[in-house]
Amino acid sequence: MTRAATDPAAAPQGSPPVETGSADLRAPLYVAWQITNECNLACLHCIEESGPGKAFRDELSEREVFAVLEQLMQSEVPYLSFSGGEPMVHGRFFEMVEYVCARGGQLKIETNGHFLSAEHCVRLARLGVKAVQVSLDGASRETFNRMRVRGDFDWALAGIRRLREAGVPVEINYSPTRFNVHEIGAAVDLAYQLGAYSFYSGRTMYTGNAVKTWRLLGASEEQYATFFATLHAKTEEYRGRMRVYFHELGLLEELRYRLQHPAALLIVLPNGLVKLINALPFVCGDFRRQSLSEIWANFRRGWQDPRVSRFIEELAADSRKTAALHQWVHL
Amino acid sequence: MKLAKYTKFREEKFGGVLFETRSERVYSLNPTAAAVVREIAPGIDEGQIVARLKSRYHDADGAIEREALAFLGEMRLKGLLED
Repeated sequence: MTRAATDPAAAPQGSPPVETGSADLRAPLYVAWQITNECNLACLHCIEESGPGKAFRDELSEREVFAVLEQLMQSEVPYLSFSGGEPMVHGRFFEMVEYVCARGGQLKIETNGHFLSAEHCVRLARLGVKAVQVSLDGASRETFNRMRVRGDFDWALAGIRRLREAGVPVEINYSPTRFNVHEIGAAVDLAYQLGAYSFYSGRTMYTGNAVKTWRLLGASEEQYATFFATLHAKTEEYRGRMRVYFHELGLLEELRYRLQHPAALLIVLPNGLVKLINALPFVCGDFRRQSLSEIWANFRRGWQDPRVSRFIEELAADSRKTAALHQWVHL
Repeated sequence: MKLAKYTKFREEKFGGVLFETRSERVYSLNPTAAAVVREIAPGIDEGQIVARLKSRYHDADGAIEREALAFLGEMRLKGLLED
């Protein structure tokens, strides 16, 4: 009676989209919404080039935000995530969370963990978020604080502990670089000790802030080989206790696969534009001007657009084309 | 029984989808499976679901009963159901 019981494949930064025949579906199954580009940190690898003072000038207004949420809930989109920037700095963050959870939507928050006060954690638990994913790019203060400029390792750990005390399910996301890649085993162990139920990782992408900092960040293939071998071992070690999930494919292989099997996932930017996928520059909709059903139809057509397949094949010749992902191309 | 906490169901033209959001697995359902899921509700057991389906659909050879019970068993194995 069931078919296509698929293993989801993680996007390069670790957010797993949902695979199913998107052409057959009446609406997306997952909406990953970057609700603001503002962030309290200025991470070396941030794919969104977020940071203090980096909110888009044209981010959706409160009225527009809730109009989008209403459409998503009306269309029974079962799963949403709020990310950023740092989503918890959005002025209407908790109202948005409440809106989704009260209507039965399952919601994941992707945060840097620096606003997880006891009060906020209890509030997230009461609202019933599905999970909070905290970025923990290192198993030590030295590596974490180097990567997460203005960030504090101990504060992030304290936030995770407060989440668990409040009963909020926790996921950990880890972006590897040449200076933290050796800590992956310890990071998985730490995630388990902190009470996470899931751990995500994958290759760090050459885009956003990473373009400017790549000489500090870019891990070698040799480092990645060790990194993935460790993750394979940790997957077995924690089987049945914590899900260790990672995406080993390179970006090109991932995108070639997506071209044939688009995930039923919309990426919504802070200004309401909708991307085909994070790792491509193509925009397939605008919530300011279009309904969800129009955007969903454009999304499905967009993957057939020859510019998309051309861009992906050009990546084979020049992997650094990802540096231009923020120069949006409207389909 | 009921759908597990992190399992969401949505009707589709081809039947439906079950989405287990913790593992982020998606299961596409044919119309028969979707009909079974629609009957899942607190206080209702497998036998009652089968009875409801049989009252609604012609099941001369018992295929609906077999398929429904097998499907519900599969859902339990995958952690998509809870009591």
